[in-house]
Amino acid sequence: MTGNEILALLPFVLVVGLAMAIVLVDIIAPHRDELVTVVGVTGLLVALAVTVIAGPLPSGVGALPAGGQQVLGGVYARDGLTAFLDLLFIVIALLSLLFAVDYLKPRALPMAEYSATLLFAISGAMLLAGGRDLLILFLGLELLVLPGYMLAGYAKRDGLSTEGAIKYFLLGSFSSAILLFGFALTLGFTGSTRIDGIAAKLAPIVAGQAPISIGLAMALALLTTGVAFKIAAVPFHYWTPDAYQGSPTPVTGYLSVGPKVAAFALILRLFVVALAPLKGDWLPVVVILAAVTMTLGNLVAVTQDNIKRMLGYSSIAHTGYMLVGLAAFAGAPVGSTAESQGLQAMLFYFVAYTFMNLGAFACVAALQRRPGVTSQIASFAGLGRRAPLLGLTMTLFLLSLTGIPPTAGFFAKAYVIIAAVQTGGWVGVLAVIMMLNAAAAAFYYLRIVVYMYMRDAPENARPLTIGAMTRAGLVVAATGTIVIGLLPPITNAVFDMARQAAQAVL
Amino acid sequence: MGLPQTIPLLGWSWDDVIFVVLSGVMLGSALLVVLGRNIIRSGLFMILSFAALAGIYVLLGAPIVAAAQVLIYIGAISVLILFAIMLTQSKGGSAALTFHHQAKAAGLAAGLLALILTVTVLWTTWPEAVAPGVAVATASTVVVAQLLFSNNTMAVEVISVLLLAAVIGGVFLAKREEAPDAGEPTPDGSA
Repeated sequence: MTGNEILALLPFVLVVGLAMAIVLVDIIAPHRDELVTVVGVTGLLVALAVTVIAGPLPSGVGALPAGGQQVLGGVYARDGLTAFLDLLFIVIALLSLLFAVDYLKPRALPMAEYSATLLFAISGAMLLAGGRDLLILFLGLELLVLPGYMLAGYAKRDGLSTEGAIKYFLLGSFSSAILLFGFALTLGFTGSTRIDGIAAKLAPIVAGQAPISIGLAMALALLTTGVAFKIAAVPFHYWTPDAYQGSPTPVTGYLSVGPKVAAFALILRLFVVALAPLKGDWLPVVVILAAVTMTLGNLVAVTQDNIKRMLGYSSIAHTGYMLVGLAAFAGAPVGSTAESQGLQAMLFYFVAYTFMNLGAFACVAALQRRPGVTSQIASFAGLGRRAPLLGLTMTLFLLSLTGIPPTAGFFAKAYVIIAAVQTGGWVGVLAVIMMLNAAAAAFYYLRIVVYMYMRDAPENARPLTIGAMTRAGLVVAATGTIVIGLLPPITNAVFDMARQAAQAVL
Repeated sequence: MGLPQTIPLLGWSWDDVIFVVLSGVMLGSALLVVLGRNIIRSGLFMILSFAALAGIYVLLGAPIVAAAQVLIYIGAISVLILFAIMLTQSKGGSAALTFHHQAKAAGLAAGLLALILTVTVLWTTWPEAVAPGVAVATASTVVVAQLLFSNNTMAVEVISVLLLAAVIGGVFLAKREEAPDAGEPTPDGSA
């Protein structure tokens, strides 16, 4: 292995090593939650720095070549997309750690197992970000979701948590099997497990403009179903509300962001690269999935009284918005700027969504710090006066989720809509549906704000204290949500990174 | 070595016959796994199904995969599952399965899937090419080892990480709870 290859693998190895180190720390000094948190946060900051040093990022940042560095014969590669997504995943891990500390402690749930499991899951996500071989992609996916099932059932004494975890586990395993079957058919048809090998084999089939064979259509159907389960697109979303409601709140926050973005990373390698020659064939499915997902997600979210279920359905709607970006890519002619813009908009959406959605769940977790506080929306009554700062940040995240300027959420939605309009055709119709949906979604997001500022807190409400770690995490998430929207240099920097990441797969 | 090339009278090749027998055993025992009322018998039929699959691997010229199938699936996983069933069964509960309400829907779905897959396999002209580097007939342990540690090094390493993560998660979920009011857990588990 050359030095560059080692550097390319280093961020992934660091995160895996950190997970193991946390297990060791817990063996040497058991039940020291603060120590575990410090080790975890420090390690993740180091991993973040190494990822930046390795690059490749825009304007020549990073030691690796801009075209990407292949590792071990090309099964894994660190290119612009890998760097972009790895940075995002590490931030997700960091925030998920910070938000969990104050929530787990009053419930006597150990921090060490949570941190180690979370980091294993993130290492799986990082593998998905750089995998260029079906085998590595599948292993990365399993490494991502297996710890996820366990995190969903983390509150062992809570029946809801166990129920949600079992549902998540069964449907998740089932969808993994479907996806694997799709991989097998793809391998049988193309004789290659390499992403670019598959694309090369498929190119001549498409060039003839003949209808694709049944075997390939079947593979495409199975692959689409598999990833649709993983990103929780309607009608493959049934596990989502129960898993989200039952999980401990910080875990719900992680589940709504980490596995979703990681599954989109799989889509980027699998559909955008390997199956790119067939994009005319999978575009209609993506268009329909996107339309149904955002509409149904929003409609059902309106009727929810449980904040975790509501945010769960809202995250389904956001999956739909991200799929619009994918549709904008797939609908555009090969090599056009609209093609690249669709992907950039989708990548930008990941960043905004990470900060605002994790932040919203962190506010719920902070409110529920004392065990026994329910997830009913009524719990938010009077929060604006009981804890002004918490109320303010929650309002910020909700406004951003709605898509109100100048938050990150507004720009993310705007870029996706612009990209969809540029592509035109049915994807242009999607843009209209998306705007209508964003307007409808305002109803249930703002309902929480109404509860926080216009309802009185219950008589017996106890004073609310926010832990230091949660506060630090909220500051990071809120800063991200504002700065990405408000400060043009930062917006441009994120957009440049997204552009370079998109170039890596085009 | 007096066997004729094909089966007398019928003219079928031996390979085909063995394949039909093995796959018949595999499917039949798999059906018995899900249809049986006694969960232990289901577990035993599962072993039979795994064994028939191992036979199919041999027939397809993959003796090492077959050996792994016998060692891991029959030797380790099935035994573990049987142990898990026996250890977790409560005396009072019935051994009969309780998830049979939707058997008809499941049967319909399975039949439909089988039909679709049959159509898929029969109506597609599959490329002849086999995955590169896999010389099927001569696959010795040396070849497998070389493949594992050249092209697939990363996969092997990642699987070890995956197993570690699964073990940690499994142990946490299965671990007996300390008494809720015990603030200071005693070392060495001597509670």
